[in-house]
Amino acid sequence: MFTWEFPPRVIGGISPHVFFLSKSLTRNGVKVYVVTCDFPGAPAHEVLDGVDVYRVDSYKNPAPDFATWVYLMNLNMQREAAAIASNLKGKIDVFHAHDWLVATAGIGLKHVFRKPLLVTMHSTEIGRRDGLHTDTERMIHETEAWLTYEAWKVICCSDYMVSHVKWAFGLPEDKLVMIPNGVNARIYESSEKDNKSFRARFALPDEKIVLYVGRLVYEKGIHILINAAPKVLEKVNAKFIIVGSGYMKEQLLNIVRSMKLEHKVLFMGFVDDETLLELQKHADVSVVPSLFEPFGIVALEAMAAKSPVVVSDTGGLSEIVDHNATGFKAYPNDPGSLAWGITKILLDQDYNSSIRENAYKKVKKTYDWARIAKQTKMTYEAVLSESSRSFWK
Amino acid sequence: MGQLAEYVSTLSSLLVRKKVETYVITFHDSLTGTVEEANGVKVVRVANPIRTNINPLTWDLTLNQEIERVAANIYYQENGRIDLINVYEWHFIPAAITLKKAFNIPFVYSVESIEDQRSPHSNTPYNMSIKSIEWLGFYEAQKVSVKTEFMRDDITRVYRVPEEKIKVLSPLSESWITDVLELYNSVAGGSEDEA
Repeated sequence: MFTWEFPPRVIGGISPHVFFLSKSLTRNGVKVYVVTCDFPGAPAHEVLDGVDVYRVDSYKNPAPDFATWVYLMNLNMQREAAAIASNLKGKIDVFHAHDWLVATAGIGLKHVFRKPLLVTMHSTEIGRRDGLHTDTERMIHETEAWLTYEAWKVICCSDYMVSHVKWAFGLPEDKLVMIPNGVNARIYESSEKDNKSFRARFALPDEKIVLYVGRLVYEKGIHILINAAPKVLEKVNAKFIIVGSGYMKEQLLNIVRSMKLEHKVLFMGFVDDETLLELQKHADVSVVPSLFEPFGIVALEAMAAKSPVVVSDTGGLSEIVDHNATGFKAYPNDPGSLAWGITKILLDQDYNSSIRENAYKKVKKTYDWARIAKQTKMTYEAVLSESSRSFWK
Repeated sequence: MGQLAEYVSTLSSLLVRKKVETYVITFHDSLTGTVEEANGVKVVRVANPIRTNINPLTWDLTLNQEIERVAANIYYQENGRIDLINVYEWHFIPAAITLKKAFNIPFVYSVESIEDQRSPHSNTPYNMSIKSIEWLGFYEAQKVSVKTEFMRDDITRVYRVPEEKIKVLSPLSESWITDVLELYNSVAGGSEDEA
């Protein structure tokens, strides 16, 4: 399995996805080797609950820009993985790549070892950028298209992504498989829900906590939440806690200053896992205002933490959340609609409780990693059965 | 692009004449596929699947997978009877390394020039990227071949490659093809007839 991020290296959603998927697959009798980028202090090789994790020196080659770095990193990833696969003497049955960031390593090794390649498309460049505007974006898009062309099956985490990927790369229907992302609900059960001293670190006793977790980038719609804040504050005394970082941070700080809401909006930057988990549990409402969202893992985590969610009705979020049953779906790119949902959840306790309970039940039923690992294993088996009839065998 | 095409063409036809089965894998933008030339050399041309590139490096690094694909096809077609890879310049070093690691096939790295000579005193991230690929090539290659003693000395100076790893094979020498075969034999093993 190739991934550019794996704990302790966490950049986005791929890291926890591969972490839980690889461990759950191992519990289902699949031997998984993860090849990923290095991280300060993390060993070059370790075995985590039966998963062999290899971390390659991803900064061996200097690079003029991020995209070039990605291809150079793949050179080193492929070099290491080729040696690992060769030493295993034919024991690798399939290669599984996560996103374009490991495309060339996956494609090259597929042909060299003549083993089928699967890819999970977590996102697309055309979706992230709302179109293709530069040569870099076009190059990444073409790499994604090449990867999906070379893959035996393309896994997407939502029906929305299946349809988006089919459209973006012109893929046949039978090449696409929908397997949802998962969440580990157990980690939210370990500590008390209402820890006043923890809460006091972020908000006054009479302030409700409105939580945003995600990168501060355009497609995540954080600016829509900031613009909704004055409307929420007209009706509810709340503190907006923003976790994450990104290129929009300065711009967002300026908007908050111009609104004179510095005392109501708290930019936390990155926080450690334990603090994030506690914040998710203590949030009176969690908001995911994305403009483009292939899946929406943050909403799922909030639901597992029993924090009621307000999401924009787009992409994978539309499938995770059932309006007025497991959360509130706001009109995308509409601060008024977002504010309405946040206010409704904060003021209507019955609505709030029913949403929290229903959401938690849905998470336990649909987004359990054991179930997702079984679906993934079945996909591997189907690919192996099909590929065994190819001329490569 | 330069004189390399003519050089490899001459070398490969001489190798075939010496009963060395030779495949040349190279780039062409449109005339892709395998052809057997009149001189007996089998030439496989591949195009880059990525049409938009932001610099020569990304063009090169995305082309390498196609090089690997056709090299692997030859490997399986020949039932693994590939004794040696000779890679020219830094461009396909990534493919040579992957094939070496996967199939345990040694490679000779033939150098026409190095980045330090092409862009003297340039240490931009772009130049450094190419230098790092060259370094990787020198590190992973079983042997390095150059055409002049000057090149050998410069590579030794710039990359600290041990002198004994570098073989000077002058195409002007009468014993050129014999020297090439000797080098191949020393890397791949076996006698000259089996090379």
